Formats: sequence, structure tokens, C-alpha cells
Amino acid sequence: MKRQVYLDNAATTRVRPEVRDAVIPFLSGDHYGNPSSSHRPGRNVRAAVEEARRRIASAIGTAPTSIVFTSGGTEADNLAVIGGVSAATTEGKPPHVAVSAVEHKAVLDSAKAVERGGGKKTVVDVDRNGAVILEGVDAAISDGATLVSVMWVNNETGTVQDVPEVAARCRQAGVSFHTDAVQAIGKVPCSLVELPDAMLSISGHKIGAPKGIGALVLPAGQTVDPLIHGGGQQAGVRPGTENVIGIVALGVAVELAVAELTGTANRTDRMRCDLESRILAAIPDAQINGADGSRAPHISNISFPSTRSDALTMHLDLADVYCSTGSACNTGVATPSHVLSAMGVPDELATAAIRFSFSCDSDDEDVDRVMAVLPNIVKRLRDQHGGS
Amino acid sequence: MTARVLVAMSGGVDSSVAAALLVDQGYDVIGVTMRLFCYGDKVPDRPCCSLDSIVDAASVAEHLGIPHYTLDFKDRFNRDVIDNFVQEYALGRTPIPCVRCNSLTKFKDLVAHADTLDCDYVATGHYAISRDGSLFRGRDADKDQTYFLWGIDRSVVERMLTPIGELTKQQTRDLARSLGLVTAEKPESVEICFVPDDDYVSVLEQRLPPESPALTPGPIVTSDGSVIGGHDGYARYTIGQRRGLPGGSTDPIYVLAIRPETREVVVGPARHLFRHSVRLAELNWLAPALSPGESCLVQIRYRSRALPALINEGSALHIGQISLNLSEPARAITPGQSGVLYDEQGRLLGGGIID
Repeated sequence: MKRQVYLDNAATTRVRPEVRDAVIPFLSGDHYGNPSSSHRPGRNVRAAVEEARRRIASAIGTAPTSIVFTSGGTEADNLAVIGGVSAATTEGKPPHVAVSAVEHKAVLDSAKAVERGGGKKTVVDVDRNGAVILEGVDAAISDGATLVSVMWVNNETGTVQDVPEVAARCRQAGVSFHTDAVQAIGKVPCSLVELPDAMLSISGHKIGAPKGIGALVLPAGQTVDPLIHGGGQQAGVRPGTENVIGIVALGVAVELAVAELTGTANRTDRMRCDLESRILAAIPDAQINGADGSRAPHISNISFPSTRSDALTMHLDLADVYCSTGSACNTGVATPSHVLSAMGVPDELATAAIRFSFSCDSDDEDVDRVMAVLPNIVKRLRDQHGGS
Repeated sequence: MTARVLVAMSGGVDSSVAAALLVDQGYDVIGVTMRLFCYGDKVPDRPCCSLDSIVDAASVAEHLGIPHYTLDFKDRFNRDVIDNFVQEYALGRTPIPCVRCNSLTKFKDLVAHADTLDCDYVATGHYAISRDGSLFRGRDADKDQTYFLWGIDRSVVERMLTPIGELTKQQTRDLARSLGLVTAEKPESVEICFVPDDDYVSVLEQRLPPESPALTPGPIVTSDGSVIGGHDGYARYTIGQRRGLPGGSTDPIYVLAIRPETREVVVGPARHLFRHSVRLAELNWLAPALSPGESCLVQIRYRSRALPALINEGSALHIGQISLNLSEPARAITPGQSGVLYDEQGRLLGGGIID
């Protein structure tokens, strides 16, 4: 069996052993109660849910009561944007949301849903490194935006936004602020201590928890209308019997990711720099997208002129190197990524881009394996270029 | 080094079994599914070509332990196949989109991807037999699909693998069951993949302007020019059709010809449907080209017997046209359909579009 090189950690990660160990009691029959039940089995599980809430809150610097568990980052984004605008409208504010051009589809399409519902959507431009243009945020606020959503770390390029600055401008103007921090938790410092009004989305499976769990940080004073309706759990904001296994997993995963941040960041940054410098040495016309901006340490988005993203990832897959064409949700579609396009990357480079993303599980041998196969693949595709 | 083969997996039972057989034969197999058109609400689930079918193909590939990729061919398929389909009806002809899909999509665009992925061979679930650089009719006479394959580039044939060509449909299905493939019980696909409910007119209505002559009223006339009724657009008719024509005459009447320039649908008795010759254009050879005076078999419809024919001296082979004299009269020779040439051994020699 050849070594399998998994460098697609921005798509998802392995479940961490510590996380698995923490949830096993909840799978083995001992902890089965409904956390809403008042009897002993229920109380027992309720304690675990609240413990997870405290762990997450403490890791990111917020109050346990502000943690709303969701089915993942997408639901958290939807709840913040659609639920936030809806609640603001109830309070007599205009249904107007401003989002950056490079947001994840979960935010962009939620903003579209606001628009379809008769509201207004403003898209704020980014510069060539993918950083949100702050004057664009100001303009949207002046234009009456009720809610601004700017992601902390871009999932395709790793670009880090100046979230504290955007949040400060929103706070000053009395506008709600949300940040999709799915790619930021455990990758860059993202404490909410200085951002007490910000809503923030978290996803479990990007940091070693299973798929299907996430959370929205909903600070006191910020209201959102629920998107689903039911039995009143989580203060009615997100009803439904809690995903206990996911919640316990998320608690452990967030705590570990934040505690290990410095070590992981240093390690992934070193591997990423190594990969990029070796790629540029072997393939001098490769272009690292967003290279001159502020970037999270775990993502590298690289265009290889005169190739195609889908062919590159297929060839790498066949060589047991797993990476992706930008965002996993775009696979199989030959259109350039909206993120790269918003950064002004021309189509011929945007459709020739692939993303490598590291985690604490990655190591130097992974980089060696990439370099053992990638230059040949690029050369072969270029030799054939124009044939299809 | 194991030979690598790219297998086109539609999500149907035939291409699933084709992939399974190739794995069994020891090839290094890569499965791909082509996304050919936009799966809107208008196209219900199909045995092949729907979004569900991509899932089925991927499930079979995973079951077989082979990689599987989805390739986006929507733009090319739209341009090369669907646009042409619409244009042909607008010209009063009856096209076969499957021929162009094979010629341009499966055995040209897909082969380019096979090159990109270093594949020595390209395989499909066609009922046809690729042998020594030639294509032969599939073993199952009811399922033989060589009629749709005449237009592919000759150089591709030697790279084609046809794993189920020697099987009957029943054997294919039995194999799928014994291998536990999720596609084993899928129903046959008999309709054109991008035409919902077999209603091609709805596709034309979506894609042609409402004032298009093909969809607007015109006269129904007899061979001598007398008008006996009207129609709602000649694209709704095809040669040999009986349905939708005025009654009242003693003998049943059929569509004999469509004249787009005057919007006339010409009708007459069944005996006028028979012709002794056929002219083909856009000729493609999969064997050494025949010359005037040589004989072969020609098949003018998917579901009809191939007839002995002689290449007419009047053929203009240099511009890709050929005239064939038929040994017996053929019914309802329809412009836009394919005339496909075979030898006595069932070898596919080539073909063209009926003019």
C-alpha cells in the first residue's frame, strides 16, 4: 500500500483520538438520556452538554450561554444571516445584509435568500490578496446595512480578514456583525474577548470532531429568529433534541484546537512554506494566490498555468495525494472559483488552481510525496494542453 | 505496467457491468460519469444521465474499488448535441442525437480526458464488439448499438474496449445481480436522455423562438399539391408518421416528405413511402472506403434489417456523399436519420446522415 497523503484538511479532518475517546461513553449505552429530561439519565447527559458549552466558551472567550449548537458551519451561517436579518426587521430595521465577495456559499447563499425575501444584499469587494476593502464595509453601513458578515479565514485561499477592525466599525455604527470562523478556530487566534458583540460560526469536522456538529456564538443582546421550530431547546433559537455525541466531540475538539494553536500553526506554517518554496523552485511559473496578504498557516492555493484544476486533482488522487480544487463544494464544475475571481485572478489561472491544506496530522513526508509526483503531473498536463 | 482504461459509467446496468468485467480482467480501471445537461425540474429521473445516476455510478465504482470522477460536459454537449438536434428539426429532418453524442462527446471529448489521465483504452457499456481495430455488431441482436457508432473517429476504435459486446442483455443483468451491483435492477433507458417524457416537441418549444416556422401552422398537401388540411408545425411530424393527419380518405395516409421552405407536410398512401435508393452525407469510414460498384449492407433505421446495396456511380465520395441502390425498396427513408454500412460479417464499415 502506497503512502496516502491527505492534504485536504480544509475540506475535513480525521476524528481526533481524544475526541473519539470522549464520545465513546455516549455510544456505549451508559449515557443515553435526553438532556431535556429532569431524571437522572437526563441530568447526567445535560451535564455533558453544558460541560461542552463551557469548554467552547472558555476556549474562544465568550459566555457559555452564548453557544448555540447547530448541525454544522452551514447552519450556523444561515442562522446568523437569515435569522439575524429577520430579527432586525422585526425590530423595525431594514432587511439589508452586507457580505464580502469571498464568503463561503453558506453565507453568500443566505444573503441571496434575504434578497429573495424582499431584502437587500450588498457585496463588499476584496483586494487582489482577498482582503475585504474596509471602505466598502463603511459604504454598506452608510447605505443602511443591518448586518455585516465577513469571514475570519477564507476557506479557499487562507486569507485572514481584519475581523477586529470590521467588527469595531459595525459596533460603532450599531450594526450586527457575524464572522464565519470555520477555518479560523485553531488556526489563527480568534478570541471574542475584544469582540463581545460578534456572532461567530464554528464547524466541528474541520478540527477533528465528526461531521454534523457546529455552533453559532450568539452574544447576549443579539437576537436571531429561529430557522427551525420545535420543542424549545437551546432557548428556542435552535430547537430539537441535542446532538449529544457531536456536542461532546465539539467541546473536546475546540478546546484542543485552541490550546494547541501555537504549536499547530508553527508546524503547518513551516510545512506550507516548504511546499510553496519547493513548488516555486520546480515550477517557476506557479502562482500562489493571495500570497502577499495575511494568510492562515494551513492553506495554500496555487495556480499552475496551462493546466486544469480537475485534471490536476484527478492525477494527484491516482498518485494517492489528496487535495482539492478550491472549495470541495465546487468539484466537478468547470467554473472558476468565485473567491479567486473576486481577487481578480484571471479565469485561465483560476481554473488551474488547487488547494493544499494541512493539519496537525500532516508531516514533512507528505510534502516530499507531493514533490515526488506534482512536477511530473504538471509537465505531462502541459505537454497535452490544448488537446482537450 | 498494467494497461489503464477509462470507462464511461452512465449509472446504468450495462456500463456498470462493463466496469466490473474490466476490473475482473485485471485492468487499471478509472470510472467517469459525464454530466451532459442541466438537471432541472423538467427532467425526471432517468435510468441513465440523471443526478441520481451519477450517484449510482459512483456507488458501483466504490463497490468495485476503482476511482470515479464526474466530468462536466454540459457546455459541449449542449453545443454539439442538443443545439444540433433542435436545428435539424427546424430544417424538417429527424435527427438521432445519440449518434452525435457518440461521435463528439463520448469518443472525442471523453477520449481527450482519457489521454489526460494516461489511459491506454476507453471503454463503454455499448452492445458492440471492438476487435482488431474494427467494430462488429454486438452478440445480442436485439441490443446491438453499432447503428449509433458509425460516426466515431477511426483511430479511436483500436483503443475501444467493449466488455459487454459478447453478452446478451439478460446475461449482463444476471452478472450485475451476481456481483451485487446497485444498478442491477434499473430499467432500460429507451428515450433520449435530455428529452423528458419522450416529448421532443417540448424541447423544441423551449429552444426555438415561438415564431419559428417549424412550430407554426402550415398546410398538409398531397403529392399533386392539393391542400387537404393544416398542421401546427412541421417539426411535429416525421416521415412515415400516420398519427395527427386528417382522416376521411379511403386508404390510410402517411407523411411522405417535409418541405420546410413552404412549411408543407406532404402526405400520401403507404406505397409512396418506398424508395429504391438512399443518399448519405457526412460520410465516415471505419474501414477502407468502398468505391462505386462495390456492395455492402445498409441499415436506415435503428430498428430495421440491413438491406443489400450497391454503391452508385453517382456518389461524390470526395465530398463525403454516397448514393446507394437498394436491392429491395425500403420504407420511410428519413432525412436526418443514419444510414449505416456493414459487411456480411456484421462489421461496421461506416455510415452517413440520410440526405
